[in-house]
Amino acid sequence: MKAKDLRTELQPVWCTGCGDFGVLKGLTQALADLEVAPEKLAVISGIGCSSRLPGYVKAYSFNTIHGRALPIATGLKTARPELTTVVVGGDGDGFSIGLGHLPHAIRRDVNLTYVVMDNGIYGLTKGQASPTTELESKRSRGLGGSDEQPLNPVLLVLSSGCGFVARTHAGNMPHMREMFRQAIEYPGFSFVHVLAGCVTYQPRGYSDQLLQRSYELPQEYDTTDAGAAINAVRDGRFALGVIYRRPLGAAAVAAGATEDEDWTPPDAVLKQDLPTE
Amino acid sequence: METRTEVLPANAAPETPMRSLVIAIAGSGGDGVALIGDLLLKMAAHQGLYGMLVQSYGPQIRGGESAVVLRIGDREICYEGDDTDVLVCFKVSDLKRFRGSVHLHDDSLLVLEEKDEGVLPDWLGATKRPVFRHPFATFDGGVEVAGEPKNMMALALVCRALGWPESLAQQALAERFSHKPALVERNMPTFRKAFNLENVPAITKLIGHGVPLVVETGNEAVARGAMAAGLRFFAGYPITPSSEVMETLIDELPAVGGRIVQAEDEISALGMVVGASFGGVPSMTATSGPGLSLMTEMMGLSSMAEIPTVIVDCQRAGPATGMPSRTEQSDLYHAIYGGHGDFPRAVLGVFDVVHARDVMFRAFELAENYQLPVLVLSDAYVAQRRQIRDGVTDRRDKPRRWRWTPEDGPARFQLSGDHPVNAFRVPGTPGGTYMAAGIEHTEDGNPTADAGMHQKMSEKRFAKLEGIADDTRTWARTLGKADATRGIVAWGSSYGMLREWVAGNPEYRVFLPEILHPFPLEAFEEWRKGLAETTTVELSFQGQFHRYLCSLTDMTAVRSIARSGGLPMSMRELGSLLAAPAAKKEKA
Ligand SMILES: Cc1ncc(C[n+]2csc(CCOP(=O)(O)OP(=O)(O)O)c2C)c(N)n1
Ligand code: SF4
Ligand SMILES: [Mg+2]
Repeated sequence: MKAKDLRTELQPVWCTGCGDFGVLKGLTQALADLEVAPEKLAVISGIGCSSRLPGYVKAYSFNTIHGRALPIATGLKTARPELTTVVVGGDGDGFSIGLGHLPHAIRRDVNLTYVVMDNGIYGLTKGQASPTTELESKRSRGLGGSDEQPLNPVLLVLSSGCGFVARTHAGNMPHMREMFRQAIEYPGFSFVHVLAGCVTYQPRGYSDQLLQRSYELPQEYDTTDAGAAINAVRDGRFALGVIYRRPLGAAAVAAGATEDEDWTPPDAVLKQDLPTE
Repeated sequence: METRTEVLPANAAPETPMRSLVIAIAGSGGDGVALIGDLLLKMAAHQGLYGMLVQSYGPQIRGGESAVVLRIGDREICYEGDDTDVLVCFKVSDLKRFRGSVHLHDDSLLVLEEKDEGVLPDWLGATKRPVFRHPFATFDGGVEVAGEPKNMMALALVCRALGWPESLAQQALAERFSHKPALVERNMPTFRKAFNLENVPAITKLIGHGVPLVVETGNEAVARGAMAAGLRFFAGYPITPSSEVMETLIDELPAVGGRIVQAEDEISALGMVVGASFGGVPSMTATSGPGLSLMTEMMGLSSMAEIPTVIVDCQRAGPATGMPSRTEQSDLYHAIYGGHGDFPRAVLGVFDVVHARDVMFRAFELAENYQLPVLVLSDAYVAQRRQIRDGVTDRRDKPRRWRWTPEDGPARFQLSGDHPVNAFRVPGTPGGTYMAAGIEHTEDGNPTADAGMHQKMSEKRFAKLEGIADDTRTWARTLGKADATRGIVAWGSSYGMLREWVAGNPEYRVFLPEILHPFPLEAFEEWRKGLAETTTVELSFQGQFHRYLCSLTDMTAVRSIARSGGLPMSMRELGSLLAAPAAKKEKA
């Protein structure tokens, strides 16, 4: 199976050079690698430039409303567990208006893959600040919220107990393809943070700056160590790779609990954590 | 199509009047008042008597004063009655919160605590019978202390007064506490002591038909009706007075292979329902006003993306938080008009517990056939009541969504068809991939900003309403005699009271739509021929129903009786409102 077997005839409306092109390619490559037939695939999104992506994938796709892709995908996957379900969207969609749904989707551990194309801006509505826009950037460009600290979405996802967390860069095709493949294969809720550029509302060279601040996690990095994962996402740099992968059957841990060896998760968490498929 | 009238021919002989009794029990939190009501209702059902029970709480949902009003009789009952035949009250001071729910007449039996010197409020009315006093409470130096259970004594006294045997109570208790048989045994001596008193006065004895009947709440009926109509996915967020819909489904839906999620909020709840139904599975959510407000954007998505959803709104009183456990009929505007942009939906109303199942079937029928959101307006008065009903055999045929096969053509949202509804592409079907979207789309589902396409797609979507209007032209119920000259138009849970109103006031007949939108206008115009006067009756301060009708037809000279909810309207109140000169003529 080839990536283009999973493409519709529709031509993307994205600006030339937009990071979302790479994500579309990487995602269809990964799905083709996994031999996911179009009729067994559902791609769900909210609203934003990035949320246009489902229209370009041959699948049972659903371009829903702003911020609500996760609940809709949760309903679909719960009712039709045999479908491979991928949720895509932007940082505004997922970390602002739709943020309330994220920890709950993680708690339910429904077997979805959630890909966020984080361009640090509201692209579709023409460049307002998003929850991940850097302080300096807001100040220098006179955007709203210039006194508000940006959010660390990966830390948030980890601390909510997400079983699979990875980060990749929209300019690095082989890496993206690999991260998507692993995330889709993971039998539970998986999250992929994609550093994506916006050529229109971010300064020139923004995508390269993201890359400069990034580094690939070393070979010896233990992806099953939740404490290490949290440390890896706490500095200002972007660790790329699989940041955390919870071993099957292990308990979901909240961020604060990782250091405490005596801490045992309550029954409810254990039960919820049993592999569902 | 079935017509649904209870209209009697002009020359029909009057029905033999129903024999019934209203029993009210008022107490404080912890007195176990709700349990007495529950048990009495069970015992009535067991003998083939009909009845209903409403609970009344103080402003808080837990604790505080609580009272039950129970009406039993030899005919189906969906109105709690006007006058209280038996009132048991452990503490007179508890009564003040239940103003409007209890009212004595000349022959009422009043049972009070022996040592209670509280003064009965004037609004309660008075009985000519001597008050029966009983030592319910245990006192130590003038202070009440824990003693034998008051509710067992009250249960025993009411049973005795009704002439019901001890064995019936024992059986009801055993069923209710099947998991704690020792508890029943421990309490029976208290029951017997009161039951065997010499001087307990007797009240009218009611005879049931002997075939045991079923007790069900409105919320249970909604849940079970939905299951019978094919519901297989539910998501909801707890809210009074609708939570028991979800609770019932948690217990019962998995057994038929359905799935349930308790969502993090109502946006998510309806989102999940939209997602599951996108997957081809009949799905629903249930909520109350605040939740419906949150669901509004998602309702538009369901309609725009042509995905069937059923949304049950158990209306409560007021905007914002309002009065959560109280009833009202003021979500009508929201249900019919709520949301941005033009989009079609259907709105149904629930009369009572028996009707609820039927309505749920119809809701799924419309949703699945027309691929749009269908709202079912229940209310606290129906949702929370327990009603005795005949057993039901659910219909075996279920609404079926038209599933796409390659013969159905390439476009999901075809404009050229002679029918506005297209085959539904269920994920998993080879060759059927498409994109559903909340964004305006072409026939293939691709995004568009073309004004002409938006007009055409709006026409296509709204053509569904014409189909629905056609299918549902008889979905109304009329009550009373065909030659009655005074007309009442109402909806939803007003049904129960009005059914009895016309029985006692043969100059009236009543029209109640089962579908509120699209409104069965032809049936209404036909019904109102020959009326000398017409009044709309509703629990909405703004008179939403009346104003809605004004937007549909000529309502000149139609009077509006509209007040805010809280308590349902009684026949007594309706009588005095109808008798009073119309304060102001509503303009059409
Ligand atoms: C309820 C609602 N509020 C606001 C909008 C307007 N809106 C559309 S997309 C968007 C933000 C998009 O940002 P992001 O999710 O980061 O996507 P991007 O365009 O950057 O890929 C907003 C605010 C909307 N569609 N719905
Ligand atoms: S505005 Fe930015 S995010 Fe949107 S398509 Fe253009 S480059 Fe991409
Ligand atoms: Mg963005």
